[in-house]
Amino acid sequence: MPHRRTPSNNLLYAKVPGTSFENSPVFDFLSPFGPAPNQWVARYIIIIFAILIRLAVGLGSYSGFNTPPMFGDFEAQRHWMEITQHLSIDKWYFYDLQYWGLDYPPLTAFHSYFFGKLGSFINPAWFALDVSRGFESVDLKSYMRATAILSELLCFIPAVIWYCRWMGLNYFNQNAIEQTIIASAILFNPSLIIIDHGHFQYNSVMLGFALLSILNLLYDNFALSAIFFVLSISFKQMALYYSPIMFFYMLSLSCWPLKNFNLLRLATISIAVVLTFATLLLPFVLVDGMSQIGQILFRVFPFSRGLFEDKVANFWCTTNILVKYKQLFTDKTLTRISLVATLVAISPSCFIIFTHPKKVLLPWAFAACSWAFYLFSFQVHEKSVLVPLMPTTLLLVEKDLDIISMVCWISNIAFFSMWPLLKRDGLALEYFVLGVLSNWLIGNLNWISKWLLPSFLIPGPTLSKKVPKRETKTVVHTHWFWGSVTFVSYLGATVIQLVDWLYVPPAKYPDLWVILNTTLSFACFGLFWLWINYNLYILRDFKLKDA
Amino acid sequence: MSGKRNFSLWNIWVASTLLKVLLYPAYHSTDFDVHRNWLAITNKLPLKEWYLENTSQWTLDYPPFFAYFEWLLSQFVPASVADDGCLDITDVGNYGWPTVVFQRSTVILSEIVLFLALQKYINISADKEKARSFVVASSIALSPGLLIVDHIHFQYNGMMFGILIFSLLAAKQGKYLQCGALFSVLLCFKHIFLYIAPAYFVFLLRVYCLDIHENSFKTPRSLLKSVRWSNLFKLASTVMTVFVIAFAPFAYYGVIPNLIARLFPFSRGLTHAYWAPNIWALYSFLDRVLVQFYLHVPGISSIISRYIESESLISRLKNSTASTKGLVGDVEFFIVPTITPKMSFILTLFYQILAVLPLLLFPTFKKFLGSITLCAFASFLFGWHVHEKAIMLVIIPFSFIAVSDRRLLYPFHTLVNAGYVSLFPLLFKSPEWLVKVLYTLVWCIIYFLSFNEVSKLSKSLSRRVFYMDRTNLIYILGLIPLTLSIGVLDVLSENFELLKRLEFLRLMMYSVYCALGIIGSWNGLSWIYFLDDTLNGDSTQVA
Repeated sequence: MPHRRTPSNNLLYAKVPGTSFENSPVFDFLSPFGPAPNQWVARYIIIIFAILIRLAVGLGSYSGFNTPPMFGDFEAQRHWMEITQHLSIDKWYFYDLQYWGLDYPPLTAFHSYFFGKLGSFINPAWFALDVSRGFESVDLKSYMRATAILSELLCFIPAVIWYCRWMGLNYFNQNAIEQTIIASAILFNPSLIIIDHGHFQYNSVMLGFALLSILNLLYDNFALSAIFFVLSISFKQMALYYSPIMFFYMLSLSCWPLKNFNLLRLATISIAVVLTFATLLLPFVLVDGMSQIGQILFRVFPFSRGLFEDKVANFWCTTNILVKYKQLFTDKTLTRISLVATLVAISPSCFIIFTHPKKVLLPWAFAACSWAFYLFSFQVHEKSVLVPLMPTTLLLVEKDLDIISMVCWISNIAFFSMWPLLKRDGLALEYFVLGVLSNWLIGNLNWISKWLLPSFLIPGPTLSKKVPKRETKTVVHTHWFWGSVTFVSYLGATVIQLVDWLYVPPAKYPDLWVILNTTLSFACFGLFWLWINYNLYILRDFKLKDA
Repeated sequence: MSGKRNFSLWNIWVASTLLKVLLYPAYHSTDFDVHRNWLAITNKLPLKEWYLENTSQWTLDYPPFFAYFEWLLSQFVPASVADDGCLDITDVGNYGWPTVVFQRSTVILSEIVLFLALQKYINISADKEKARSFVVASSIALSPGLLIVDHIHFQYNGMMFGILIFSLLAAKQGKYLQCGALFSVLLCFKHIFLYIAPAYFVFLLRVYCLDIHENSFKTPRSLLKSVRWSNLFKLASTVMTVFVIAFAPFAYYGVIPNLIARLFPFSRGLTHAYWAPNIWALYSFLDRVLVQFYLHVPGISSIISRYIESESLISRLKNSTASTKGLVGDVEFFIVPTITPKMSFILTLFYQILAVLPLLLFPTFKKFLGSITLCAFASFLFGWHVHEKAIMLVIIPFSFIAVSDRRLLYPFHTLVNAGYVSLFPLLFKSPEWLVKVLYTLVWCIIYFLSFNEVSKLSKSLSRRVFYMDRTNLIYILGLIPLTLSIGVLDVLSENFELLKRLEFLRLMMYSVYCALGIIGSWNGLSWIYFLDDTLNGDSTQVA
C-alpha cells in the first residue's frame, strides 16, 4: 500500500516507494505489468503508444498548410532539406534569404541534409531545387512526420526514460514500473507533441540533446555533458536559455571553493566544447573560410528583428499594452534593457546553483533560469515556452503532490498560451483531444470519473481504494494562495477559451482574445517563475540522502 | 495491490475514444460515402423507395434494421452538417469536414453497445474468472481490427458485435429466447452474420426445443415426444416477430424482391480484388505459380499441355491481363479447374454441418462458442466472394474460448496475428501505415502476454504438441519481416516503375502468408474441438 503523505513543501517523503500517479489511468493500464518479468514490456508499450499519439496528431494539419506564397514552418523545414542537398555547403546560409533562408545553427542544417537525401531517394520531386517550393502531397507529409518522430525517438524519448530511471534508482526509490509511469507523464506532455508533430518542428532534438546533457551531469560525465549541450545549442539556439545554469554548475564543480580547484575537469570541459563547435563549423570553414562563421552568427541571432513580433505571453509583450516600448525607445536601447532585465532575472538561480551545485536542484535551476529567459529576453516566440517547460516537467518525478499540481497547472497554461498559434494552424481538434488526454492519463480528471460513474464502472484498483487525496486535490495546490491562483486561472482560461470559440472579437480590437490569453498566461508564468525560485531557495540546503 | 479490484472498461473506453477522435482526419474508404448515401436515402425518401433508389452506385444493400438505424442517425444530423452535403442524394458524395466529424462520431457512439456488452460479460462472470474475462473483454474492445475497419476504413461493426455478444451472454445465462431474439435482430442489421446462423440454429434447437435422453431415439413416437413444443413455438414466434418488424413495411409496399436482390448479389466473383486470406487465395496462388511455370520452365509446359489445350490457354493469357494486375473483376483461372458458386457453397455447408454436429451431443456454452467459431471459419475459408473484414467474425467468438485451454492459445494467436495483418491492405495510404502497424504490434504484444498469463492449463497438457507451438511462433514472427518488406517495397515503388506494376504481387504476399496462418489456426481449433473433451466442460470448471 502506498503511504499517504501530508502536503509539505519538502522532499521528506522522497524515500517512500511509489509515484505521485498511483490513482491515474496510466497506472491502471500499466499495473498489470508490475511483476518483474514483465516490467520491460511496459516501457516499450509506453513508447509505442507515445509514437501512436504523435502519429495520430500528425494526421492533422500543419503550419502554413495550403497558404501560398510563404506557407509556414513545415515549408521552412522542407525548404532547408531542399537547399542543403542541392547547394554546396558555402551557399547554405546565403541562398535566397527572403524565402525561408536558413536561420538555425549548423546541426539543423546537417539534420536537414541527411533527411533531404533520404527523402530524395524515395521521391526526388519532394526536394527538387526551387521547383519544389510549396510542394504539398500526402506522401511528403507522411515522410516529414516520420522524420520528426524518428528524430524524437532517437533523441528525446530515450533521454526521458533514462532520466526517470536515474532519478527513480538514486533519489526517489521507484521501481521500473513507477519510472515508466513518470516517463509517460513527461512524454505525453501535450505542448511538445502538438508543436513538433502538429505544427511541425524538430524541438525534440534540441530538448533531447539538452536532456542528455543534464543526464550526463547526473552521471558526472562532464565532457559528454558539454558535448551534448553544444549539440543542443547547435541544433537550435533556443537551448541557450539553459546555458547559464550549465555554465555555473560546471564552473562551481570544477573551481569552487577555490581550494578544490580541478584544472583537469575544467580543461576537459573546455576542450570538449571547443572541439564540438569546431567539428560542426569545420565543413563551412574548409570550403569558404572564416567569413562563413560571421554569416552563420548573423543568421542565427537576428538582433534586427525587434523586441517581439507576435503576441507572446512574456513581460515585454504584456506590458506593451500599457507602455508602448517601440515608440519610447530605439531597438538598440530595447535590446540593452531586455538584456539587463534577463540578467537580473536569471541571477538568483545562477547564484544558487553556483553555491549549491546539487544534482537534485538541477531541474529546478534549469526551470528557473529558462523561465526567466522566456519572460524577459529578446525575440521570444510562443513556441519558446517548450524550453522552460522541459525541465519543469522533469519535476514530475517528485513525490510531493503540491509540486505535481503546480507542474501540471503550468504545463496546462503553457499549452493554453499556444492556442492562438494552434488555432491558426487548424489544429483545434488535436488541441482539445491532447489537452484532455494528457490530463486524464495522469489522473488530473479523476474527480470527474468519480463523480460521473456508477460504482461498478469506477476503474480499479486505483480509484476504488479509499484514497481521497488524488481524486480531489491534485488539480490544485493545498496552500490557499496557490490553490486559488490555480483555480482562478483555470476558470479564466476556460472562459477565454469559450469566448474565443463562440464569439468573433470586436472589430476595433481584433486581437482582443489573443491579448486576454497572453495576459493570463503571463500572469501565471510570472507567478510560477517566482514559485520555482522560492523553492530553489528553500531546497538549497536539503540533503536528500539523509531523508 | 490489496483490495478487491474493480474490472472496469471505463479507462479503456476513454483512452481508445480519444485516440479514435484523433483519427478523424485519417483516410476513409468509399464505405464512408456508402453510409453517407444511406443517410441521405433514408432521410430524404419514403420507405418504399429505400431499396429502389439507385442514383449512386452505393445502393442500400444491408437489411432493414440497418436502414432504420441510418434513418435514426439522419434525424440527428445538425443543420451545419446537412449544409455540408451530408444528406444529398448524389452520384458521388460531395462532403467536407463536418460530415466526417458527424459520421465518425456516430461510429464511436454506436460502439458503446460493444463496450456495454463486454462490461456485462465481465460483471456476470464468476469472481475468480473476472481477471480472465477482463483480458478477453479488453482485447476485443481494443481490437486493431475494429480500429482499422470501423474507425479508419469506416463501418459500424462495433455495434454489430455488441449485439452478438449480448446474444451470446444471454445464451450463457440460459436466457435462450433472448438469445434467439437478439441474434435475429442482428441478422436484420447485417446479414453477414448468416455465416454463424447454423450454430445458433442447432444450439437453440438442442438446448431449448429438444429434450433428448437415452430413449429418445427408440421409436419415432418417443422422438416426437422429446420435442418441447411450447418452447419451440415461443422461440419460433419470437424470431418471426423480429423478422416481421424488419420486413413487414417493405412487404406492404411490395419491394421484398428488390430488397432480396440487393442483399444477395450473385453477380460477384469468387474472390475480391485483394484476395481474402482463405483457401481460394492459396488456390489462385497455385494457379498463378503454375502459369509462371508453364511460361518459363520448359519441362512443365509439356506436362501441363497434356491436360489443357495450350493454344486456348495462351490466347486466354494474352487477353486477360486485368486480373493478374489485381483490378476489380472476376478472377480467371488458367490451369486449375474453375470454381463455381455451387462448389464453394457445398464445401462451406459441409464444414458447417461438421462443426454443428457435436453440438447435438454436448450442447454446452463453450461447445456453442466453438461451433460458432468453426462455422465462421468455414464460411470465411470456403465462401463465395468473402471480404477480408469477415475475419472479425471468427476472431471475436474465438477470443472467448481461447483462454479456456492453453492448447488453444497458439491457434488463437496465429489467427489474430494473421487476421489483423491481413487487414493492412485496407489502409493503403502512407499516413496510416505506421498507425496500423504499430497499433497492431502493441496489441499483439500486450495480449500475447496477457492471454498466456490468464489461460488455464489443460487437463491433458501431456498431449500438447510442443513443436506445433514453435511452428506457430515462428509463423507469427514471420509476419514482421513480411509487413516490413511490403512496406519498403511500397515506399520504393514511388521510384521504380517495375515495382509499381507489381503492386498485385505485394497484396498476394499478404493474402497467401495470412491464409496459411488462418488455415493452420482452423486446423488447430478443429483438432481440439472434435477430438478432445476439454471444450465440453462448462465454463465454471477450472483445471
